[in-house]
Amino acid sequence: MIDPRGREPNEAASAADVPYLRAIPRPTPWPIVTAFGCTLLFAGIVTHIFVSVVGGACAIIGLIGWFRDVFPHEAVEEIPVVGCEVPLPPPEFAAQTAGVRETRRVVPEAIHPYRSGVLGGIVGAVAMAIVACAWGLIDERSIWMPINLLAGILVPSVGDASIEQLKSFNGAWFAAAAVSHAVLSVLVGLVFVVALPMMPRRPLLAGGLIAPVLWTGIAWATLRVVNPTLEQYISWPWFLASQFAFGFSCGAIIARFNLVRLQVGQSIAQRLDLDSSGDSNGGAS
Amino acid sequence: MRTTSEPIALARMSRAKVGMASLIFMESAFFAAFLVTYLYYIGKSTSGPQPIECLDRGPVLFNSACLIASSFTVVLAVRALARGAIGLFRVWLLVTVLLGFEFLAGTAIEWSGLVTAKGLTIQSNAFGTTYYSLVGFHAFHVIVGLLMLVGILVLSMFGCIDPRRDHARVDVATWYWHFVDVVWIFVFLLVYVVGRVPQGGGL
Amino acid sequence: MTSITGHKQGSPVQPGGFWEAVARWTLSVDHKKLGMMYIGAGLVFFLIGGLEAAFMRLQLARAENTIIDPETFNQLFTMHGTTMVFLVGMPVLLGFGNFLIPLMIGARDMAFPRLNAFGFWLFIFGGALLYFSYIGSEGLYGAPGAPDVGWFAYAPLTSRTFSRGNSTDYWILGIMVSGFGSMTTAINFIATIFCMRCPGMKFMRMPMIAWMMLVVAGLVLVAVPVLTAAQTMLLLDRSLGAHFFDPETEGSAILWQHLFWFFGHPEVYILILPAFGFVSEILPVFSRKVIFGYALMVAATVGIGFIALGVWAHHMFVVGMGPELDAFFGASTFLISVPTGIKIFNWLGTMWGGRLRFATPMLFVTGFVAMFVIGGLTGIMLATVPMDWQLSDSYFVVGHFHYVLFGGTVFGIFAAIFYWFPKATGRMLDERLGKWCFWLLFIGFTLTFMPMHISGVLGMPRRIYTYEADRGFEIWNLISSIGVPVQMAGVLIFLWNVVRSLRKGEVAGDDPWDAWTLEWSTTSPPPEWNFDRIPTCTSARPLWDRKHPEDPDAHYE
Ligand code: HEM
Ligand SMILES: [Cu+2]
Repeated sequence: MIDPRGREPNEAASAADVPYLRAIPRPTPWPIVTAFGCTLLFAGIVTHIFVSVVGGACAIIGLIGWFRDVFPHEAVEEIPVVGCEVPLPPPEFAAQTAGVRETRRVVPEAIHPYRSGVLGGIVGAVAMAIVACAWGLIDERSIWMPINLLAGILVPSVGDASIEQLKSFNGAWFAAAAVSHAVLSVLVGLVFVVALPMMPRRPLLAGGLIAPVLWTGIAWATLRVVNPTLEQYISWPWFLASQFAFGFSCGAIIARFNLVRLQVGQSIAQRLDLDSSGDSNGGAS
Repeated sequence: MRTTSEPIALARMSRAKVGMASLIFMESAFFAAFLVTYLYYIGKSTSGPQPIECLDRGPVLFNSACLIASSFTVVLAVRALARGAIGLFRVWLLVTVLLGFEFLAGTAIEWSGLVTAKGLTIQSNAFGTTYYSLVGFHAFHVIVGLLMLVGILVLSMFGCIDPRRDHARVDVATWYWHFVDVVWIFVFLLVYVVGRVPQGGGL
Repeated sequence: MTSITGHKQGSPVQPGGFWEAVARWTLSVDHKKLGMMYIGAGLVFFLIGGLEAAFMRLQLARAENTIIDPETFNQLFTMHGTTMVFLVGMPVLLGFGNFLIPLMIGARDMAFPRLNAFGFWLFIFGGALLYFSYIGSEGLYGAPGAPDVGWFAYAPLTSRTFSRGNSTDYWILGIMVSGFGSMTTAINFIATIFCMRCPGMKFMRMPMIAWMMLVVAGLVLVAVPVLTAAQTMLLLDRSLGAHFFDPETEGSAILWQHLFWFFGHPEVYILILPAFGFVSEILPVFSRKVIFGYALMVAATVGIGFIALGVWAHHMFVVGMGPELDAFFGASTFLISVPTGIKIFNWLGTMWGGRLRFATPMLFVTGFVAMFVIGGLTGIMLATVPMDWQLSDSYFVVGHFHYVLFGGTVFGIFAAIFYWFPKATGRMLDERLGKWCFWLLFIGFTLTFMPMHISGVLGMPRRIYTYEADRGFEIWNLISSIGVPVQMAGVLIFLWNVVRSLRKGEVAGDDPWDAWTLEWSTTSPPPEWNFDRIPTCTSARPLWDRKHPEDPDAHYE
């Protein structure tokens, strides 16, 4: 099957402007001669002026030859294939069908709604704060201690503070801690929204148990190098407990929301289909 | 069922135009480095001839006017070629080339004045170094552009330029000339306007 | 065997004598031949540069070693760095661009085939000029010697006062000439991608490699002229007595650093983006899945291209630029890790849930992703200004950039060679030897470069020809040096693999990997005109559409 447009007379006229339709460029010595000349031209600077002169001559000869290769007509060789100037017509496609095929699967195929992540992040933040403050009150006899330590990720001077300062209220530090705690919690909640459905088997287990353990491990391993002063104050069992508190509460909240199927990897027909059938596909999985 | 409704025509941009545009883009980066360097050294020369003593705006304004005018004459030449008026094309192209030569001659006169009367060389100080290299590289590009234009002029004298066939190519070649022109505007502003500061008076 | 475009499979061996063959290659303007010559010449330089590195590691294997004297050592690291960046990385990647772009966008050749040949020969002659310095230059004591000012040639080391003779001029001219070659090639890439795409090949249907090469070409056009300009100034300083970079006479050594790194940082992205392209083509095929987030990938590539122009001074934190500039360049460098991270996650997303097949190209690609992540993370560490003050100019930096350049670019190149060798030659590379090659290179690479992070943190400066005993450096340097013969074994096996497979490798057929881009729709090797009939493109995976009319990508755009 040949597309009729390939044969219209005015098309053929403009096809002359299309390079390499019926022919390809012919091999030529002039580019290499010109390149050699140019190099010698420069090499003369570090050797002898004579080299530059020879190089310049070479380059000029090369350029003239090159020019004659392209002017007035490009030197070409015919392609020995009949009909090579007609593009291959596109294949004929079957009608669109429903169902996502294996090779188009994206992971995750469905996620929890984003608002569940925000909500889960807030609830997790509160749960974590309760555990952390409990540590402050029980072990350190100061509710400000965990808050000030948290401020340390934004405010470098916390690292130099004395233990008394760490145990007393500081407005700026409190604000820094509150803001970073809120932002980080919500961000992690949003990550959970996408990540939990990708976890094999029991998502809540992964979110509530494995992620906190991993994270605590990383923090434990790096903090002693990155910020040793801060590290000496931290009680790792309590740290782990507060991570569990966050993971479980955040995960539990998010898991209460049904999964929403993503439209990535679906054909246009399927997406249109989804639209017409309303929200019915956004349900459980 | 055939679902691709697009035509399978070969609609293309001109490779000459894209190539020339890329070349100009590249050359702009080259000049940008020299311009920034010039800017960096303005007012840094503490000894030797200073820009305010050396740079006389009078002749250079005339030279600049010639160069800028040549951009217009070359447009007239291309238009003439597009209409097939080969004689007119030759005339305007000749005018362009002469204007370009005037610019080069002007630069040569200015330089020899600077070297002999003012004692400014590339070795004098940072001003001499940056001035000669920036203006010199621009002049070098003017020479390259002029060679192209002279080449076209000679070809057309021998009747090798066919308006219908070659009009587009000549047009693209003149882009380079416009580029050289535009660069000069930047060089002029930087060297003769911004950079004419008294001794030690940097930006 | 007949290909989809109807061309009969030709034999890779063409008739004619030796000189005819030489003429066929040197006079050729065929983008495939030029691409293969680029890659072949780049590999030769790779062996030379590797040998230089091996000598350095030999010298550094023990404390207070005396195998190599300090002057030679300076020449070795200068030539090693210069060779690997300008004569291996650039030409091999541009060579792949040359070979692949027309085939992938369904064109018969580049937009300017003669310019293409011109650029290639400039690279060859420029490289030859650089290496001619070993015998032709006047070095330090009048005897010939290679350049010894480091690959970034900091002023005022390069001034007449400190660099006698003309070896530095050889460095300038050799790199400048091959730089002209790179620039003409970049112009060619842009014109080809804009003007030579086959019918239906819209921009958003182009293979990722074409996108990456387009961005690379843009970066070359912005960055390399700045290097050329800086080198011109240096040449004027050295030969005409100008004062650009000589601090004793109103010049500024810092200006050289700014100009050089304004080129230098985009350059490292010029070296990594094509490798990103290889990964983005190979990963989906060996995961049997569509690439995850094509549009985002394109956006990230273009984003990297722009941000890469605004981070150069992170190489200059220790010259004392002041807190504002330090903060700005630290922040912009952090910013670049966002699009880079997007790419990593897109690749992982592509692999996730796919049917992975770990043939050699896939092994290298997987190695790439893992090693590049490590290199990227150490890069982030270096972009943290106080950390950089501690680690700059130490072996930690050497560790960082070898993770991105060897673990990244070189692994990417090997993946690409294993993947496209069948297309270029009609024969498969041997899988068993390929796996040996990968594991030896991977283990040798880790042995050599992982310890450099530690010796760097311990305070070992880079570019020293020897070090005192009992400073804690010995063991790490010894391990680094032990890695070298392991890598060498890997490279030798690779060379043997190429030689053997060229003669008796398994015949590949048109499409040995069951891939989806247009180069696999013609014969292996392709005819000189690439396609008997110009293909038409219906989606980002045109060949998939032809193979699967029941489920074409065209339905998903
Ligand atoms: C995540 C992205 C990256 C970041 C944040 C980064 C950051 C840095 C920093 C801050 C330095 C300067 C270290 C110093 O000299 O004190 C550096 C050096 C270097 N980087 Fe990267 N880098 C990144 C990716 C890459 C890539 C992809 C490449 C190349 C493929 C690369 C190649 C180099 C090289 C060659 C040097 C050393 C130059 C020299 O001093 O000789 N980097 N990098
Ligand atoms: Cu950098």
